[in-house]
Amino acid sequence: MFKRILALFGLAAAFFPATTTPAGPLTTTNSVRFNRDVRPIFSENCYACHGPDKNARKAKLRLDSPEDPFADHEGTIPIIPGKPDESELWTRISSADPEEVMPPPKPGKKLTPQQIQTLREWIAQGARYEGHWAFSPPARPALPENKNVSWCRNPIDNFILARLEKEALTPSPEADRRTLIRRVCFDLTGLPPEPAQAHAFMQSRDPAAYEKLVDLLLASPHYGERMAVYWLDLVRYADTVGYHGDMTYSVWPFRDYVIQAFNRNLPYDQFTREQLAGDLLPDATREQKVASGYNRLNRISTEGGVQDKEYLAKYAADRVRTTSAIWMGATMGCAECHDHKFDPFKSKDFYRFAAFFADLKEKGFYPDGFSKDDWGPRLMLPSASEEGRLKAADEEIASIRKGMEKIDDADLRSVRDRWEDEVFTADKSGALEWTNQAPITLESSGGSSLEIQTNGSVWVSGKNPDHDDYVVTIPGSLERITGLRLEILKDEALSGNQVARAGVTFMLAEVSIVARDKNRSRQIPISRVLADYAQEGFPALAMLDGNLETGWAQGGGPPKDRRAAFIFDSPLSGGSNTTLTVTLKHGPNFPRQHIGRFRLALTDYNHPGPDKNQIPEDVLKSIRLPHWERKPDQEKVVVKFFRSIAAELQPLQQRLAAAEASRSLVAGKIPFTLVSEHTSARPVRVLPRGNWMDDSGEIVQPGVPQFMRQISRDDGPSTRLDLADWLVAKDNPLTARVFVNRLWRMFFGIGLSRTLDDLGAQGEWPTHPELLDWLAVEFVESGWDIKHMVRLIVTSQAYRQKSETSPTLEERDPFNRLMARQSRLRLDAEAVRDTALLISGLLVDKQGGPSSKPYQPENYYAPLNFPKREYVPDLGEGLYRRGLYTHWQRTFLHPSLLAFDAPSREECTVNRVTSNTPLQALVLLNDITYAEAARALAERILRHGGEAFIDRLDWAFQQALSRHPSSAERNLLEEFYQKQLARFRADFDDAKQLIRVGNAPVANDLPPAELAAWTSVARALLNLHETITRN
Amino acid sequence: MISPWEFPSTRRAFLGRTAAGLGSIALGSLLNPRLFAGEKNSQWQGTINPLHHAPKARRVIYLYQAGGPSHLETFDYKPKLAEMTGKPMPDSFTKGQQIAQLQGKELKCFAPQFEFKRFGKSGQEICSLFPRIGEIADEICIVRSMHTEQINHDPAHTLMNTGSIIAGRPSMGSWLLYGLGAETEELPGFVVLMSSGKGGQMQPIAARQWHSGFLPSRFQGVKFQSKGDPVLYIKNPPGVSPQSQKEVIDVVNNLNRLQHDAVHDPEIATRISQYEMAFRMQTSVPNLMDISAEPQNVLDLYGAKPGDGSFASNCLLARRLAERGVRFIQLYHRDWDHHDDVKKDIPLKAEEVDRASAALVQDLKQRGMLDDTLVVWGGEFGRTPMAQGKGRDHHIKGFSIWMAGGGIKGGVTHGATDDLGYAAVEDPVHVNDFHATMLHLFGIDHNRLTYRFQGRDFRLTDIAGKVITPILV
Repeated sequence: MFKRILALFGLAAAFFPATTTPAGPLTTTNSVRFNRDVRPIFSENCYACHGPDKNARKAKLRLDSPEDPFADHEGTIPIIPGKPDESELWTRISSADPEEVMPPPKPGKKLTPQQIQTLREWIAQGARYEGHWAFSPPARPALPENKNVSWCRNPIDNFILARLEKEALTPSPEADRRTLIRRVCFDLTGLPPEPAQAHAFMQSRDPAAYEKLVDLLLASPHYGERMAVYWLDLVRYADTVGYHGDMTYSVWPFRDYVIQAFNRNLPYDQFTREQLAGDLLPDATREQKVASGYNRLNRISTEGGVQDKEYLAKYAADRVRTTSAIWMGATMGCAECHDHKFDPFKSKDFYRFAAFFADLKEKGFYPDGFSKDDWGPRLMLPSASEEGRLKAADEEIASIRKGMEKIDDADLRSVRDRWEDEVFTADKSGALEWTNQAPITLESSGGSSLEIQTNGSVWVSGKNPDHDDYVVTIPGSLERITGLRLEILKDEALSGNQVARAGVTFMLAEVSIVARDKNRSRQIPISRVLADYAQEGFPALAMLDGNLETGWAQGGGPPKDRRAAFIFDSPLSGGSNTTLTVTLKHGPNFPRQHIGRFRLALTDYNHPGPDKNQIPEDVLKSIRLPHWERKPDQEKVVVKFFRSIAAELQPLQQRLAAAEASRSLVAGKIPFTLVSEHTSARPVRVLPRGNWMDDSGEIVQPGVPQFMRQISRDDGPSTRLDLADWLVAKDNPLTARVFVNRLWRMFFGIGLSRTLDDLGAQGEWPTHPELLDWLAVEFVESGWDIKHMVRLIVTSQAYRQKSETSPTLEERDPFNRLMARQSRLRLDAEAVRDTALLISGLLVDKQGGPSSKPYQPENYYAPLNFPKREYVPDLGEGLYRRGLYTHWQRTFLHPSLLAFDAPSREECTVNRVTSNTPLQALVLLNDITYAEAARALAERILRHGGEAFIDRLDWAFQQALSRHPSSAERNLLEEFYQKQLARFRADFDDAKQLIRVGNAPVANDLPPAELAAWTSVARALLNLHETITRN
Repeated sequence: MISPWEFPSTRRAFLGRTAAGLGSIALGSLLNPRLFAGEKNSQWQGTINPLHHAPKARRVIYLYQAGGPSHLETFDYKPKLAEMTGKPMPDSFTKGQQIAQLQGKELKCFAPQFEFKRFGKSGQEICSLFPRIGEIADEICIVRSMHTEQINHDPAHTLMNTGSIIAGRPSMGSWLLYGLGAETEELPGFVVLMSSGKGGQMQPIAARQWHSGFLPSRFQGVKFQSKGDPVLYIKNPPGVSPQSQKEVIDVVNNLNRLQHDAVHDPEIATRISQYEMAFRMQTSVPNLMDISAEPQNVLDLYGAKPGDGSFASNCLLARRLAERGVRFIQLYHRDWDHHDDVKKDIPLKAEEVDRASAALVQDLKQRGMLDDTLVVWGGEFGRTPMAQGKGRDHHIKGFSIWMAGGGIKGGVTHGATDDLGYAAVEDPVHVNDFHATMLHLFGIDHNRLTYRFQGRDFRLTDIAGKVITPILV
């Protein structure tokens, strides 16, 4: 026995030689098993001091070793097999002396009499050790014998039934068809069935109806969405960086990759390779590179004062925690500072594992994260047409530039000298400065209030409508007017990054200027717009293109005063009777992101520019110096600037500006995503106590935990691809078990081993170890076929049972570990939302794309800064998309998802904890999303539910619950409906308000009080426990 | 210890289940008579029953000064630093130590920018910008020897609130609720309020700071907003009157009761009680938030103006929350990050927080609530004795906080930094020690408030923490 066990530690042939027979049944027998009975006691109570961590080890004794307890320890032998009374271990655990007894009273651990007895029996029976079950490769066990063979539909049932029969329990009958279709629809798609679909299934006499339904659901695109939710929690996918300013970054194409991978049933081994090392695959496809974004999903920082080295260490540790949790169900994170207390992971293993990722091109501190949205390597994802247009634009720009080069600076010399003289004189007299013009009249189309401030600027406050255009009239008293400047001034009171009334940037779509004097008015043609800065995709020139969907913006970077100069085609003669009316239009696709403080100015200078003195300060500075005093750089600045205004170059300059603007419009729309990029690996050291400042540790090479089979590679260090291959190797004992155990959780509410995050020594011994192993082997042998496994589980008889419990079961198996019934599970946060939207008919069934922004309470982002921001909900379909597409703000997750236990995804989440709180009630009662869904459902009830109350109620129940109301329910709701109807008839205004909640079209043709009363009924239905529960 | 999967929502469900036994899982601490006392009560009563020892505090009001207040301009006077101003910071202090924005810069001593005075009978030394806090000098215990591990705001806040820098660990308020339960059924047991200051850069404060992490989300803090709805989703949808809403809730609960009778799912019973509580919250929150009902002299005491969302108004709200049985009340004032100009900025902060912080302690005292309310005042770290221009950089080796009430000795200064205010040298207090002390005041041994996650029994104090006994009454 011991020889076999000794082979456990450090042999290379397999992950683990099989040291034990497949795990036996869990029923109480006289035979004590180490893995099942003893290891949990040791791990819980003893390993902290007598386990793998050599630094914490007391009395030089380790109880996790199959040899040490049998050796002489200063004259005593801890365990003498077969002789408990002579074993020191027994003496100590059974001692009444607080000085003697183990575990010592201080840390608060205490063995129960039953545990003490178990250990005694184990010693008496020979004290046989077993290798940790999850570290031995699973072998496919034989199917157990069953009495009630006819109950079993597939091998899963044989295992479940065998255990039930041993426990003298009987499985529950099959659930009724209604429950079944609701259950399997929720489980496979995250949505309830459509009433017609439910009806057809309930009526069907086809014996294979259920299997056909399962196939249909597995083929539905919603299957991938449902599975993705679980995977995105693991990989901690989100839309923001997670630290400090928590800015938005773009990784949503990764989310879409995951959905599609599940939908096309990408085998799990390939899924693994593509995420860990998609970029390293030979001839990597675009999709595989997108998948490699997995390695970039950790939180990252651009907080001032962050040190690269410290944060690289944080990111590395995060990847070890996440990757080992996802694929190995291991808590390797514990080994960051010391050897693992319970499992044989050494601290060195932690850093060897981290070293796999040391080839990633990344920074600890991202200096340009906030200012330039630069979060490291990204992959642009243009469509074929975008690629074409970009190429054409680039070619045009190149050809224009070539044309410009033909005009030599030397030829411009004399004109430039003259210009410089003019500038020099004008500058001296202050004539270059823009003349601010305080408005004469101000108008807002959307009803916000515009006020003139003392400095001539306009301050916008009050109501902030979705759409707002400003019309501002200023005096045109200059004799000659060559241009107009718009300054957008930042102000701390503006919640949109200090430059806009909402969001993180303003977006100004169109600007037009009309000049008026005594008897005529005319639109002023503008030849150019020069801005100090424009966000990619939002060039200043777009303010003149007549298209409200394009415009000028500053992006979400640090707020600054922004300026744009509009240069008139030809000078305008002004005077005391002249006024200029400036219309500033905001884009319909950027609701509420309006400028909040601005100022207008005019000039008569011939070459208007956005700067204070028209000409950039560094150019002016040089011009103020005589030529001979200028340094070459200073001269260059002047020459370069002059080219931008020289008349000879003007036609080309205009063409260039136009070409660059169109390029920007294309480029700004091209999606991109963060990806892995391989570079030369950083050296990785073991950090003593996890201290990143301590360089005394040895440098390590990439490697897997040393107690497991090693990767053999002799041509250099192992790569991420090697790691992926190792994880999905047939003999890896963990990967398949971990995955199928979590699948089980999805369909039964709890894992076969409930510790989904830890299959190590502290992990729970599975309730059905053979079943877990059988499933794991089946998974690998099926070619890592996820749909195959899902189908197996949901078509088993065990899955199809009723979920109702009974007093016997409640007493014998309160947590439903034996599966004598199904479980009753609250829907996931996303499914709670999706269900309400589907029932109401509002759900927008669109897959993928940038994240959506549903309604969210105002000021929820007030605690954020860098940038300061105000959330702007989408206007159209973004309000009605499935929950998994919701913008995932790590530090401030959408509050209605948060209320229903969705994780922030700052860290890997293996298991969502389900809670039941008053905040959930408040969400379902009061969130606009649900109130609007209720009134949309009410409208459908009135239109499609017939005329009589009973018919309507029945119709509504079919939508929400796939069933008829009981008479008791009908009575309650009828009385309720009448009371509500009376209320809304008495208070008509209330009714009118309620039936207008949200952005969906209002049913003006329906009687308001009735619609409102039915809205109340619909609210009640959407709030039912049953509606958000899968039975 | 129990773990998430088996965490039933109600104590009744919990007991119903535990009665059947949980195998090797130890439940000793959970099965005690106090749990049975209020059988009809659906609220969580806490896992520490009975308490490990007699408690002193029943609630916390934590005045969290986010950004890193300079200890050198608040509670830690360093005349020696004044003498050294402009001179290089001795290498012996800084060598091998971590530095944030001053990386690669010359490190020069920077004198305390304001006078200190002695206040009260105890003669505690406090910066003269804080005379009101000076008035309560005999009530407060100043800890001058705090130290932490994280030099950037985000992780430093996380460490201060959760005892760990890894996201996903429960915050201290969540731990307290988990251990003790709440004393109100009308309000959340853990409430967060936030205010901004004038002139500085507001700290972003992640919701992680009051999240319940791996604990069930019922133990999460609830942030009250100063603008918009005070509690998210507290307001009925447009057109729904309170009476109408009540009818909706009643019918939902009645329908849920029918279901419960049919399937006996304890989660349904919980759902019903949560709807009842939601309704109570809808009624009680507006009352709570309306501080205009307070007498003028009380408003003046704090310097609060109804509806202004200021730190002062939040202090007054904190007292109102405390009166209503909220267990953990945390106020963030998020404007203490003074890199640029200490001399200009600290007086602004003093104006914002001095009067109200002191008023809160005085008001609690006059109402007889200070004895069992622990008030804490402090940030996530301190600031360098070295200059960063006219300001100071982040600093982790030594900083100050103060505490009052709830079993803390008043008029005491605990611990000290070195002559230049760089490192805590006398009785250093780590964040974990501070947490251990807080739990101790509540009758909890920090070693024994644990939760099983990822195969390990986690604690607020991680693997460290010792109670600061000298400052206990």
